[in-house]
Amino acid sequence: MSNAIKTVVVVGGGTAGWITAGRIAAKHQSNSTTNIKVILVESAKVPTINVGEGTWPTMRKTLIALGIRETDFIRECDASFKQGAKFARWVDGSDNDFYYHPLVLPQGFIKGDLSPYWHARQQGKNAGTSFSNAVCFQESICEQGLAPKTIRSGEYRDIANYAYHLDSGKFSKFLQKHCLEKLGITHVVDDVVDVINHDNGDIASVATVKSGKISGDLFVDCTGFASILLGKHYQIPFIECNDVLFIDNALAVQVPYEDENAPIASHTISTAQEAGWIWDIGLHHRRGVGHVYSSNHTSEDEATQRLADYVGPAIKDLSIRKIPIHSGHREKFWHKNCVAVGLSAGFLEPLEASALVLVELSAEFICEQLPQTRQVMNVVAKRFNETFLYRWQKIIDFLKLHYLLSKRTDNKFWSDNRDPQSIPESLQEMMELWRYRSPADFDFTSNNEVFPAASYQYVLYGMGFKSDYTLSPHLLNDWDFANKQFSMTEKMIQQALQQLPSNRELLDKIKQYGFAAL
Amino acid sequence: MSKLVAIDNINHRNIKIDVNKIEAHGATMHLAPAVVAEFVHLATHYPIVLAKNGDTGQFVCSAMLGFQAGENLFWAQDKWQAVYVPLQVRRQPFFLGNDAVKGTAEQTPQYVVCLDVESPSVGDQGERIYHDNGAESDYLQEAKAKLAELLKGESENKVFIEMLLSMDLLESMAIEIKFVNDESTRLNGLYTIKQETLAKLSGAQLSQLHENNYLSAIYAMVISVGQMYSLIDKKNQRLSS
Repeated sequence: MSNAIKTVVVVGGGTAGWITAGRIAAKHQSNSTTNIKVILVESAKVPTINVGEGTWPTMRKTLIALGIRETDFIRECDASFKQGAKFARWVDGSDNDFYYHPLVLPQGFIKGDLSPYWHARQQGKNAGTSFSNAVCFQESICEQGLAPKTIRSGEYRDIANYAYHLDSGKFSKFLQKHCLEKLGITHVVDDVVDVINHDNGDIASVATVKSGKISGDLFVDCTGFASILLGKHYQIPFIECNDVLFIDNALAVQVPYEDENAPIASHTISTAQEAGWIWDIGLHHRRGVGHVYSSNHTSEDEATQRLADYVGPAIKDLSIRKIPIHSGHREKFWHKNCVAVGLSAGFLEPLEASALVLVELSAEFICEQLPQTRQVMNVVAKRFNETFLYRWQKIIDFLKLHYLLSKRTDNKFWSDNRDPQSIPESLQEMMELWRYRSPADFDFTSNNEVFPAASYQYVLYGMGFKSDYTLSPHLLNDWDFANKQFSMTEKMIQQALQQLPSNRELLDKIKQYGFAAL
Repeated sequence: MSKLVAIDNINHRNIKIDVNKIEAHGATMHLAPAVVAEFVHLATHYPIVLAKNGDTGQFVCSAMLGFQAGENLFWAQDKWQAVYVPLQVRRQPFFLGNDAVKGTAEQTPQYVVCLDVESPSVGDQGERIYHDNGAESDYLQEAKAKLAELLKGESENKVFIEMLLSMDLLESMAIEIKFVNDESTRLNGLYTIKQETLAKLSGAQLSQLHENNYLSAIYAMVISVGQMYSLIDKKNQRLSS
């Protein structure tokens, strides 16, 4: 057992580093002396990037696994609730052009698919009800600015499925504090200046300025865009995907609320622009707003103007931060005894908040499948690479879907996005399938799909895509079921609107009272 | 409606409290707030449950008097039909007011006794609260003792609930009840002792509960769940009469 995996060294202390270190430590009891030791090395000099203020509902599971109270997290990370995303002006750019990608599945989704019935209803008296509003009660909750639960719901429990918006700078400090106080992680603040290999090419240790060599059996590269271990040391190639996704820059600002009673949107708002889109994320005490754009299709000045138009007069007092976006990912993520998590593995435009969820999924995979020995690691690494290459590809497909369904013509950005040359074959194939039926779980081969079929339905039918069911009349043979689901949705909307407090009211109450632990 | 005013022996010297009208304050109450110290008494009549305050989301202890808002099954023929009446009802028409002056938040708050002058029990009949010479009557002394017990209970309840939560001793009650008229009701949002955990407490945990004198309260809660049957019975009698 000389090659047993006993020490995990995480290099880098942003959210990726702390989530990964924390999950491994919590699972493998690194605070007891007999088990896996987790060391996190981070430089005091390298600033964290702080991308990703939007999360997925997976974050609840991650926080629970780390042993964190939801009340503490919300209070200390300026967090607020996110119930999906509203996409405005993506279809034709007009004022009333919007659709939702909520986090609640269509009503009765496990038992049957409502999309054919929704299509059929568009001919009758129910024409005009959007897909998401007809099959899911969450859009109405968001439109009214309501929270996904009440103060009585308790920690992590919901009435409508939710994720969070958070201040990622505060989040990584909060995670650090929790990991050090509760999870027994060894923290080394020092600069990594060299990487030392074993004869077999595995990393033996990382050399630091003051703390000497830090040895380990598994090294996790959370060094951000620098990708010090996987990129620089191992020279694993970076696969660009700017031929599919054209966004290459972001201009970000932090916008204060007009007053302390201003409503807080409980969803991410994404508003399409001539050559990109603007994100708008409401935290408890400020908004995060940013314009991502394609520099091949517009200038920085033009993009700055779009951002200023969106934010309004307040922009003159705000400092705009420019962040280059290099869309793509490493050719593989786990090489020898080194695995990359976070920006060191890759990055995509934040249209569906995929950054933090990929960190969580990677951390979960590593802690659940942590190899016992060096030999086993080869198998785990191979599977990790297969799983995550598939996930990156699926995310790229799903992001692209938003662009190819747009009918906007105001900039070549949109027509270039619809050019079949720019559309991955895997996505083209699925679009072919969906001409005659709606996306179904059968269309996806992974047992742990990042975007479920329901997400594809929300985007496709939200953007006006029509499946032609005339050749599959059997898909419409249970109107009893369908009508029941449609009226159930209407009933749930009424109940939710009566029962739920505003997002602001609930966040203020959490600050004041906190949730009961049960 | 209620209107609270601080009492003094000048303005309220001749006021009397009609003790027969006090319990009417609870006539339409379906959950009566309860303090841990009275659990053993409450358990002889009422299910003792925990519910969350709608405004703060925090747990509160209550004696269950009915199945829906406005329903007190112990109130009949203008009388409370039980020997032990919850302290929260018996304290009427007196309340504690917080006399904290702004800017002195760090000082211990000063409490003053207030009277609900709109209470039907307040008038010129019944027990006097001050003697002719301005001294407090025995009745007022007793009323003040009840208020003190409630105040003490408020902080004690908090510690009690915290301890139950930390030992994983609470669980939500899922009860579906069908009444004689075939109407059914589902009890939501009520919590009780999780007996599964209670049975597995370690010696150290048990002695911690014992030191705080919480064991009797916990078992009173467990036993009081059985009062649900008599509460259903009361409801059925009411429905069929």
